[in-house]
Amino acid sequence: MTATAERAPAPPRASPLGWIKERLFRNVWSGFVSVVLIAVVAYMGYRAFAFVFINGQWDAISRNLANFMIGRFPRDQIWRLVAQILLLGLGLGVGAGTASGTARDKAEESGLTYEPPTLLGTLRRFWSLIAFVVVILFMAGTRGPWLVAGGAVVLGYIGWQSWRLPRTVRLLSWLVTGLLLLAAFQVVSGTDGLAWVPVALVVAMAAWLVVPVDRLDSPWRQLAGLGAAAAGVAIVYLIYQEIAAPGVGWDQWSGMNLTLWWSAIVITLAFPAGLLLGLARRSSLPALRYLATTYIELIRGVPLITLLFMGEFILGFMLPAGTSLSSISRSIAAGTLFTAAYVAEIIRGGLQSLPLGQTEAGQALGMGTPVILRKIVLPQALRAVIPAMVGQFISLFKDSSLLFIIGVTDFLRVRAIVHAQPDFRVVAHAETLVFVAIGFWAIAYAMSRESQRLERKLGVGVR
Amino acid sequence: MTTEQVFTDATRASGKALIEVSGVDKFFGDFQALKDININVGLQEVVVVIGPSGSGKSTLIRCINRLEKHDHGTIIVDGIELSDDVRNIQEVRRETGMVFQQFNLFPHLTVIDNITLAPRQVRRMPKKEAEELAMRMLERVKIPEQAHKYPGQLSGGQQQRVAIARSLAMQPKVMLFDEPTSALDPEMIKEVLDVMVELAKGGMTMIVVTHEMGFARAVANRVVFMSDGQIVEVGPPEHFFTDPQEDRTKLFLSQIL
Repeated sequence: MTATAERAPAPPRASPLGWIKERLFRNVWSGFVSVVLIAVVAYMGYRAFAFVFINGQWDAISRNLANFMIGRFPRDQIWRLVAQILLLGLGLGVGAGTASGTARDKAEESGLTYEPPTLLGTLRRFWSLIAFVVVILFMAGTRGPWLVAGGAVVLGYIGWQSWRLPRTVRLLSWLVTGLLLLAAFQVVSGTDGLAWVPVALVVAMAAWLVVPVDRLDSPWRQLAGLGAAAAGVAIVYLIYQEIAAPGVGWDQWSGMNLTLWWSAIVITLAFPAGLLLGLARRSSLPALRYLATTYIELIRGVPLITLLFMGEFILGFMLPAGTSLSSISRSIAAGTLFTAAYVAEIIRGGLQSLPLGQTEAGQALGMGTPVILRKIVLPQALRAVIPAMVGQFISLFKDSSLLFIIGVTDFLRVRAIVHAQPDFRVVAHAETLVFVAIGFWAIAYAMSRESQRLERKLGVGVR
Repeated sequence: MTTEQVFTDATRASGKALIEVSGVDKFFGDFQALKDININVGLQEVVVVIGPSGSGKSTLIRCINRLEKHDHGTIIVDGIELSDDVRNIQEVRRETGMVFQQFNLFPHLTVIDNITLAPRQVRRMPKKEAEELAMRMLERVKIPEQAHKYPGQLSGGQQQRVAIARSLAMQPKVMLFDEPTSALDPEMIKEVLDVMVELAKGGMTMIVVTHEMGFARAVANRVVFMSDGQIVEVGPPEHFFTDPQEDRTKLFLSQIL
């Protein structure tokens, strides 16, 4: 890194009184505006304070915390959610640790020393989320939630220690991350039916990658990779035959839990789908290009609500007779189809922002199109579109509140349960709205901050 | 100038033609960028192409590694004819290095990663070996100490030298230079030209599109003058600069010298 240019010395600091005089009362007009604005802000601050600490009926929330978090989820199965939160803590910890380990290797390769993130830094990064969780924990007033949250944090910290692991096991720890996240899902949803499929996919991908690419000649490499992947699939399938056990189907999921999983799953599916669509739209094969363009323009012309309804009422005709899909599966399909079209357009924008010279340089070096895409074009194009992409994902996360129209009880819709209770039929509507709004904001704001951080981090050395 | 003359000149340097361009036309829509181009380049020969902007110089060398597709005629590089066959194109590109006016380094990769990318991905070279090769190339262009910086942290001249090292790492048989010093500040032109002179002395076959007449005089075996998509005049620099035959050449030289 080059040193930043030396700054001009800061002007001498004015006294507080001088600052007020200079900034707020420079002349009659600015003094007048300042007085009016201060009065308005003070009044609104007073009203907000009174609402939060004096008038607000917050027992509408504290008595319904479980409803807001998990809605209609069967209460005798709560142990599954506890296990889920603990597994999530561990899985996210290992994932973050593995990412940090990659950063460490990169720093050391360039002769820099790697500084792991500090506790204070992490608190600041996720302060909105942490504050929201802490408020909920205090409102809950019992010991259980504190223990679960504390356990998840401890497990996350233990998992994060994986950043110390050497580079040789990095692939393995990514595999562990993926499996832990899937386990967190399946400890609730159950291990029967098709539950083995996503696990088999993750294992097959890892097995394919683990075959030493640089050592073998190409036909053998392909064959060995395929063999390893097939073996992985078979092993996973056999294990799942043994441990098959039904869980709580996700037609019973609701509340914040559902909102988070729904958004996470749709984002995970829509990103690769949108990436392929975006590339197809710029393909040199006309058929592919027209197909992608038609799809994107069709989907973008339709409101998400319409797609959700269509998923609910039309998807059934297109599936083989006898298959039944829960409303949530249908809405995930609709949300993915919808978001993928927007992601594709964002990615197309990123691709077009790259100078043609980048591709030409790759071609002149004898690289084929796949290598140019993977190593030159996509790393730059994706970095350029991080803000737009995260914006799209934040917007999708908030759009999950539309799910109520197909009978799903999402975080916002929990209000209907609350206000059906005799105590809160007519009161506390504002309180529940504010609570839901803050919940959405805490998560959306954390996503936004992470995106800004990622932008800064990836922008290193590039002007 | 007849075709025979060009061929005789071409084989003069070594007796063997590495690149054979014959009867090449190139159109951009209705505009004809290249008109019946015939030129051969011998092994270890340095050919400098000059001419006014828009005369087709860049298009010509971009046709030689198929960044542009020619419409008529044949281009043969080291015995491989350029056709629509993707494998032929890849093979030719592996044997021709290219240096661009705008450097076109990969800004998201460090200098050493810029250089090792193609050997590792295209030649499947193990990482360690590729990095040793990259360091040798960086020493050749005299900036090994910049290996772990990003292109954005280097000066223009340093970036262009990295671009040369990046091409050399593929161990090409011929290097194409597309106005390599035109985007540089004047004080940085020399450091790049010095590297190119070293390359030429080392026996690299080179085709250089440039406005640096000093370089052409000192290094070129032949100078090619192009105008309006045609080769107007070809000759060794000692004749070309002192005794040009064509009126258009005389006019051009009088404007730039």
